[in-house]
Amino acid sequence: MSTTLAPTATPGAGPGRTSTAPEHARHASRAVSAAGVVRSEWIKLRSVRSSTTTLLATAGVMLLFGALAAAVGSGLLATPPDAGGPDGGPGGGGPTATVLAGSLLAPLVIGVLGVLTITSEYATGTIRSTMTFVPGRLPVLGAKVVVLTAVVLPVMVVATLATFFLGQLLLGAGDAPTAAIGDPGVLRAVLGTAAYLTGVALLGLALGTLLRSTAAAVSALVALVFLLPGLGGFLLPASWQEDVLVHLPSNAASSFTSVAQVPGALSPTGGALVFAAWVVIPLLLAAVALRRRAV
Amino acid sequence: MIELHGLTKRYGDKTVVDDLTFTVEPGVVTGFLGPNGAGKSTTMRMLVGLEAPDAGRATVNGRPYTEHAAPVHEIGVLLDAGARHPGRSARDHLLALAATHRIPASRVDEVIDVVGLTEVAGQRSGGFSLGMGQRLGIAGALLGDPAAVVLDEPVNGLDPEGIRWIRDLLRGLADEGRTVFVSSHLMSEMALTAEHLVVVGRGRLVADTSVADLVARSATSVRVRSPRAHELRSLLAQRDVVVTTGADGALEVTGLRMEEIGDRAAGAGLAVHELTLQQASLEEAYLELTADAVEYHGSTTRTPTTPAPERTAA
Ligand SMILES: Nc1ncnc2c1ncn2[C@@H]1O[C@H](COP(=O)(O)OP(=O)(O)OP(=O)(O)O)[C@@H](O)[C@H]1O
Ligand SMILES: [Mg+2]
Repeated sequence: MSTTLAPTATPGAGPGRTSTAPEHARHASRAVSAAGVVRSEWIKLRSVRSSTTTLLATAGVMLLFGALAAAVGSGLLATPPDAGGPDGGPGGGGPTATVLAGSLLAPLVIGVLGVLTITSEYATGTIRSTMTFVPGRLPVLGAKVVVLTAVVLPVMVVATLATFFLGQLLLGAGDAPTAAIGDPGVLRAVLGTAAYLTGVALLGLALGTLLRSTAAAVSALVALVFLLPGLGGFLLPASWQEDVLVHLPSNAASSFTSVAQVPGALSPTGGALVFAAWVVIPLLLAAVALRRRAV
Repeated sequence: MIELHGLTKRYGDKTVVDDLTFTVEPGVVTGFLGPNGAGKSTTMRMLVGLEAPDAGRATVNGRPYTEHAAPVHEIGVLLDAGARHPGRSARDHLLALAATHRIPASRVDEVIDVVGLTEVAGQRSGGFSLGMGQRLGIAGALLGDPAAVVLDEPVNGLDPEGIRWIRDLLRGLADEGRTVFVSSHLMSEMALTAEHLVVVGRGRLVADTSVADLVARSATSVRVRSPRAHELRSLLAQRDVVVTTGADGALEVTGLRMEEIGDRAAGAGLAVHELTLQQASLEEAYLELTADAVEYHGSTTRTPTTPAPERTAA
């Protein structure tokens, strides 16, 4: 058999068929490009309601918890008699930590957004069209990282700043000690919280890519971020605890999301590096898995 | 043009696609037939790089799909017709796919129009019927204005009107000079749509033939009714001729042409009351082919009634 493309070589052509049928007119089509894939992921993210919902819910959790904690800390709301640290916040983390109380729950919500970014594609089967349009596969993961970061980080920066100022306003209204954004370490803690939440979303994306199931990936994220820091105290031999526990994602992050340094914790820079590793290494593993496994 | 060379896929110790070699030519609709589990979907997934073959290779226009700069310009594929995010509109679904290749929004609206979804394109696609979902999947396959379309069971679950629409669409695409490769496990459907057939059974190539050839070569027999059937029977008996007697006393003769039977009967002065050519239907031919694929498991599986597949030099 010849390898010619000409329709004349077509076997089984019916008698009514002209043997010189022209090649169909073809649209000019451009190659797959990184920018195109990023745009594609942006369209996907903005075109489903759950993205907006989870993003607003995360910001809402930050604001609501921050306002509540500030109201309690300032005495605007009734508190147990011995609550409150030396500078007014429940839990004693200071006025900045008080108003950032939402960062205990917000990672779960934003983490789910990160997970869903990829697991919804596996759940609905769209992953197959996605990967036939971008057979290199890795640009898809890269574009999801870019879009998730570009959307989550600014929203979280705005949310944490708004939470900080609202919280300080409430604390001040009740004559509790307040913090100014210019105080040492305060801006770092506020923006660090935004970065932490963005990082958790990316960790969710990595876990979702590795596990391909929403339930499995959310469970893994909850275990890693919420359960292990507490459970580790029971599960690990005492001699290991300090070394291991401070390196878990949420504990590493707390070194740069809080103003006050806890003894035994990592330095802000050290914590940032460890937390970054918790984001980058799972993403690299996800990239390898995405490349090697069948879709 | 799509070419497969020794394409093989194993899951564990089960070989689900076994050394497939064939070529899908442009300008005609090629049906890809085989019973459930024959390996059709797996083959199609390998064509577009979703799955890596364990051996062999598949190329489109001379290169593996994944190595083309604008792959959806080469093959447009429909693998899973239900695949869409229920919360996303049909238009957004297609816009997201189109963006990867910087295909303009005007082309998106064009394919939406071709598949007849214009009125619902802006709605969340979760409420789509099976047929609408299928049309959306086909719109995705057409988006890159591809040289070849590969569709996995595109008529599954469609109503007669939808089936006819797909049939016309496929013929139209082939007439435009495109390569059209469509899987089905229904010969009856393929007989109406395809001009060429690739039949697989248990992952192996069973036949690579034009529909016309398959019809011509499928087993035929001649039904003969005669008051002196017994004498006629001994008259026809010879090597390679099989004569059976039916319940109504009529003879079923294979291995002799109808004219020959009539001439012999006339020569011997035997009255003949009926002489009918009985052609096996495509459906029967297909069942025969795939039954053999199972029977001869582990050896070459081509039957004498099947033309040797045209193979490219290895
Ligand atoms: N990912 C997988 N892992 C293991 N086995 C698989 C996988 N995908 C398919 N198979 C098996 O491979 C065989 C071929 O499956 P395939 O889906 O390719 O068949 P098919 O010809 O498309 O069948 P159908 O007509 O039912 O769609 C089946 O036995 C199936 O169970
Ligand atoms: Mg199938």
